[in-house]
Amino acid sequence: MRTSHVGLMIVFALFVSIVFATLMRDDPKQQLRFGAQLFAAFVVGGIALGWILYFFPL
Amino acid sequence: MRATTADREQSAIYTYLICLAAWAIPGAGHLLLGRIQKGITFLVTLALMFLCGLWLEGRLFPLEIRQPLVALAALADMGIGVLFFIARGAGAGAGRVVALTYEYGNAFLIVAGLLNMLVVLDAFDITQGRK
Repeated sequence: MRTSHVGLMIVFALFVSIVFATLMRDDPKQQLRFGAQLFAAFVVGGIALGWILYFFPL
Repeated sequence: MRATTADREQSAIYTYLICLAAWAIPGAGHLLLGRIQKGITFLVTLALMFLCGLWLEGRLFPLEIRQPLVALAALADMGIGVLFFIARGAGAGAGRVVALTYEYGNAFLIVAGLLNMLVVLDAFDITQGRK
C-alpha cells in the first residue's frame, strides 16, 4: 500500500481531531462541527508550514 | 448528610478503578461511566491509531532509564495500556529504522499513548463530578 507524507499527515490529523473533539464537546453535533474545524486547521496549517519551510532550505 | 470516612474511601477506590480501566483499555472508563458514545469513539480511534503506528513500522521503545528520551518515549507508548503489552508480547513494534515511515510510526504510537492519558484524565474529572 502506498503511503505519502501528506496522506499520513491527513490520517494523523483525522485521529487527533476525532479524539480532541470527543473530549472537548458533549453533544455529537458539536463534536462533528468542532472536529471538522480542528481537522481543517491541522491540514491547512501543516500544508502552510510546509510551504513556509520550502523557502528555507537546509 | 455528611459522607463518612468509609464512603470517601470507597469513592476513592472507585475513582482509581475507573482510571485503571480507562488506561488499560482506551475508552473503558467512559463506557463504565455510561458515556457510551465517547467510550466507543475512544476505543476505536485510539486502537486504530496504535495499529497504524505498528503498521508504519514504528518502534515500541524500551524503558531505558540511562537514555532519558527513550525512557520518555517508552512511557508515552505505555499510555495506550494493555495494547502495548500485547503488541510487545506478539513481537510487534520492533521498529525498522531504515523504513521510510519509521518516524511517522513513532509519532502515531507515542501520540496514541499520550491521547489515552488525556482520556484517563477526562474519566477522572467525570468521577469527580467536574464534567
